Amino acid sequence: MTPFKELDPLLHSQLRLAIMSILISVDRADFTYLRDKTEATAGNLSVQITKLKEGGYIEVSKSFGESYPQTMCQITRLGRTRFEEYVKIIEQYIKPEPPK
Amino acid sequence: MLLKYIIVKLVNAMENEEKLMTGEESLKVITAMINKSRVNLTQSSFHLLFWGWLIFACSLSEFLLWKLTDLATPWYVWFFVIPGVFVSLIYGYAKGRKQHVYTYATGIYVWAWIGFLFSSVVFFIVHADQMESVGKYMLLMAAMPTLISGIVIKFRPLIWGAISFWIIALVAHFGGDIISGLAVPAAMITGYLIPGYLLRTKGSHDTI
Repeated sequence: MTPFKELDPLLHSQLRLAIMSILISVDRADFTYLRDKTEATAGNLSVQITKLKEGGYIEVSKSFGESYPQTMCQITRLGRTRFEEYVKIIEQYIKPEPPK
Repeated sequence: MLLKYIIVKLVNAMENEEKLMTGEESLKVITAMINKSRVNLTQSSFHLLFWGWLIFACSLSEFLLWKLTDLATPWYVWFFVIPGVFVSLIYGYAKGRKQHVYTYATGIYVWAWIGFLFSSVVFFIVHADQMESVGKYMLLMAAMPTLISGIVIKFRPLIWGAISFWIIALVAHFGGDIISGLAVPAAMITGYLIPGYLLRTKGSHDTI
């Protein structure tokens, strides 16, 4: 039987997984968009974005929007790879291989 | 005051505590967020109407100057397109700064038109000595980004507009000088102005 692989702790968190799921669907999204979609508080969202950034899963760029600072997030290649691996492992947990 | 501070800190700490999930819950989160991220890319009528009227005016002016005057270079009216490019770019940039999200479709849409712009520049350089017959070739080049735009924003009149460019280019090729001269103004009506006004009445807003 194929042993179950360990889930990525950086992704195995509801809000961080939600952030990564959004960023894998769109090219880039700003803080406001992520907050609206995840319905998280600004403080919590900020903390989780920082963790993902420190892990190299997302890139964060700050610019000045129309009249307000804008934080734009984009998934990295590493983040995309890790997310895809995470989904494969989850699927393995849900539908394990039948015993031979 | 101190009590309020402690409560706020506790609430923040509780929110930041990571919720453990089962596999099914993880997949539910992923599915829910992907569904929420579906962005209906909509398009302002501005670009369609701006370019529709500008190209209509330039092409019709060129035709009238060629037919009614002795001017040797009626195609000089096309230099008005250059400031038009800047207007379009500035408008797009100003609108883009307000966006909260950029989808992959946005990139496809924008780069299709940037590619068309580069192709047009190269085309005008290569055909600098044959400017009388460029109309049908410009329609052929414009048809592709117009089609892509129509597909990306799911707006059928614009898809039909793109198809009209191909048809009119064919008609222009076989139709003779007068038909060829009026091909581009006609194409602007079918390809940009009609879809542009239909889009305006639809009340769409710009997301690019």
